[in-house]
Amino acid sequence: MSKPEPLTHDVIVVGAGLAGSWAAMIASQQGVKDVAVLSKIHPLRSHSGAAQGGIAAALGNTRPVPSTGAEGPLEQVPDGSEPSDSLESHIFDTIKGSDWLGDQDAIEIMINDAPRVIYEYEHLGCVFSRTPDGRVNQRRFGGHSAPRACFAADWTGHVLLHTIHEQALRHGVKFYSEWYCMDLIVEDNICRGVVALNILTGEIHTIRAKAVMFGTGGYGRAYKITSNAHANTGDGVAIAYNAGVPLMDMEFVQFHPTGLYKHGILMSEACRGEGGYLVNSQGERFMERYAKAKMELAPRDLVSRSEQQEINEGRGGEADRDAIYLDLRHLGREKILQRLPQVRELAIDFVGTDPIDKLVPIQPTAHYSMGGIPCDASGQVIADAQGTPVVGFYAAGECACISVHGANRLGTNSLLDASVFGRRAGFAIAEFVKGGAQLHPIAGDPAERNRQRVRSRMENPGKESIDKIADALKTTMTINCGVFRDGGKLQIALQDIQRLEERFAHAPIRDKSSRFNTDVLNALETEHLLSFSAVIVAGAIARTECRGAHWRTDHPARDDQNWLKHTLAQRQGEGEPPKLDYKPVNINYEKYPPQERKY
Amino acid sequence: MPDSHPLPTTATVRVQRFNPDNDKKPRIQEFKVPLTADTTILDALHYIKAELDGSLTFRRSCRHAICGSCAMNVNGRNMLVCKTPLTRELDQQARVTIKPLPYLPIIKDLVVDRSSFWEQYQRVKPWLIPPDNVPEKEFRVSPEEVEALHNAETCIMCGACYSACQVIAMTKEYIGPHALLKAFLRVLDPRDAAPGERLADLDGGDGVYRCHTIFNCIDACPKNLNPTQAIETLRKLAQKRQAYEVERAERQKTLTQPVK
Repeated sequence: MSKPEPLTHDVIVVGAGLAGSWAAMIASQQGVKDVAVLSKIHPLRSHSGAAQGGIAAALGNTRPVPSTGAEGPLEQVPDGSEPSDSLESHIFDTIKGSDWLGDQDAIEIMINDAPRVIYEYEHLGCVFSRTPDGRVNQRRFGGHSAPRACFAADWTGHVLLHTIHEQALRHGVKFYSEWYCMDLIVEDNICRGVVALNILTGEIHTIRAKAVMFGTGGYGRAYKITSNAHANTGDGVAIAYNAGVPLMDMEFVQFHPTGLYKHGILMSEACRGEGGYLVNSQGERFMERYAKAKMELAPRDLVSRSEQQEINEGRGGEADRDAIYLDLRHLGREKILQRLPQVRELAIDFVGTDPIDKLVPIQPTAHYSMGGIPCDASGQVIADAQGTPVVGFYAAGECACISVHGANRLGTNSLLDASVFGRRAGFAIAEFVKGGAQLHPIAGDPAERNRQRVRSRMENPGKESIDKIADALKTTMTINCGVFRDGGKLQIALQDIQRLEERFAHAPIRDKSSRFNTDVLNALETEHLLSFSAVIVAGAIARTECRGAHWRTDHPARDDQNWLKHTLAQRQGEGEPPKLDYKPVNINYEKYPPQERKY
Repeated sequence: MPDSHPLPTTATVRVQRFNPDNDKKPRIQEFKVPLTADTTILDALHYIKAELDGSLTFRRSCRHAICGSCAMNVNGRNMLVCKTPLTRELDQQARVTIKPLPYLPIIKDLVVDRSSFWEQYQRVKPWLIPPDNVPEKEFRVSPEEVEALHNAETCIMCGACYSACQVIAMTKEYIGPHALLKAFLRVLDPRDAAPGERLADLDGGDGVYRCHTIFNCIDACPKNLNPTQAIETLRKLAQKRQAYEVERAERQKTLTQPVK
């Protein structure tokens, strides 16, 4: 491989989903001349586009028809009537949804920004579904006490992603499509650039920048059954960790209640928002036993646990007795075609079932990463529990942990998080760069180090298979670090990961060519999966309580006395477990003191 | 495969291989792949890469027909391989042939160079050009106006239509069905401030009149969209461009008022 000249930009954004595209667009719009985005897949292939059901904002455009009850139909709110929703209510729902692990200052910022962000999307061309009088339409979602999910049928993420990518193009952002970020260059707590692989040529470049922003997405691909795209291998999270940045709250992984059976492909929560039921093999709406008030629209952690309990107690369906059913039949053909066209197609294409007249088999599926790179509400990444900044390094979206979702995210708050904090990071980066930020010198040759990393694995004489190692990792994570956890199972997961790390040392890259080598990507991605999975498990072993999505059957209660705090995991030497540190949660004890969480 | 036959336990997947750095021309390589009723073509490609040949190269990401990465040519037709069951495409001998999207330069194996596709996409200015004055809240757009955009709004830019188009096969100067569909989205959107300029741009020799209405794009679209119809609409609007500009200017005056 040749040694190309280092590239230089004012700003490098890694990841072209909503967080990265917002940041790049805003930085550029604010006058930063040289903003470039790196993406390992074409920007429009980013996983933000797979989000279906909606994006939350307390616009108050719709409300339940008076006196029809919690499951009654919605109507547009007539002009001049009482507001049907409030920022306050959205804030409280999010805090309660987070099981009080969300930082309340950051949550307030996100929710106060939400209406502004929706209107900006709308002004920039996003094609939302509408109320009869032409406002953005809103539907119900789990854990929200008012209909506040703004939506575009069931392809909301798709229209948001296309809108923002196009506006970023309009503002002159440069895109490096199919470039894979391999490494982050941080010395003395100052970020100096990245190392990236041009997938087309196989060349590895150092790219210097005054500011680097990660919007690299989540880490659901550590699980066998997942709604996540193949691309969601948590690269940014692992790269930051390897560069010495701690990871926060990694043990909190959301399992979505309605993944298509055996596939894990998402059937939007909008199915239940529009009135769908969950039933077991006996046809019971079992949520009555677990969340009498909210039923199917309880938050995801609770619904997934309820499903798993039904399955564990023998009331699952299909041949392996491990499926639950989503029942949309009573919604009627017209509503399904109008509101849920994509999920209908998915059910037909992947499990051969038309939800118009049949039950759809589903199961919990790894969906969202609450944990990630610790940062503040401007996207500034922090290096420790004291909040020391990593100068010039920013993060937003699913790879980041601010933390607005705490122990469990509410549906429709992720598109909001990525948009609000991507946008805020864009403003912060513009201010930083225009305020005189410099390019900092880089010691040694990080690109060469990474070339060596690839070369040595190509020349590795070992006989292990990277695919089999990745598959074994996903299996143990699903079985031993899933919806229900206990100390024994988590120890098995830990040992499995250690053994897989040892095997990985003997796993070669089989494709020896330089051009568009997806076998190299597979190797690097698997390395990343192994490194952050060990952090998920370490955090889960230490946290001896139940909170949100982290459910320990051997410690079956929330323990605010000891565990109302964020985990920070710092990388130690090769093969050593991470060092765990903790950081207090930002709580406004007068307004939102911790309460028992009931639905 | 006819339904009456029992499902064979393996399928023969014939894949076109080509690395321009080493090979003079593309060749077909056969692989035996285990078959179950719900094996997708993407599953088969993953199996080959994991178990049989780690150098096989293809794009994929979401695996549920929303990211647009995995459009390929299967038995002569363009489709997304992630949502296509292998059994549906097998012949009597349980064989299937997978090639990259046609009429585009091959980067490696099943990966094509979509540069011309993206250049045309950018050429039509895919972004909305918002009006000068935006309201405090949202513009008011009727459900019917939104409905009219559905044909274009869900395009995933996979390139299946583009590489099925006989005009594109002859010339990459043609804007192409995908970019014209995007242009349709903007021209029809009551919020866009420049429908007249857009129509003038599409009216040229490489634009709407280049379409020969062969309908290949409709057959190829994995999202059941209809680029031909959108192109027809653009032609009609281009013919009455000035009247349409006036109509749209009138509509923009009421964009902040309730539609009902």
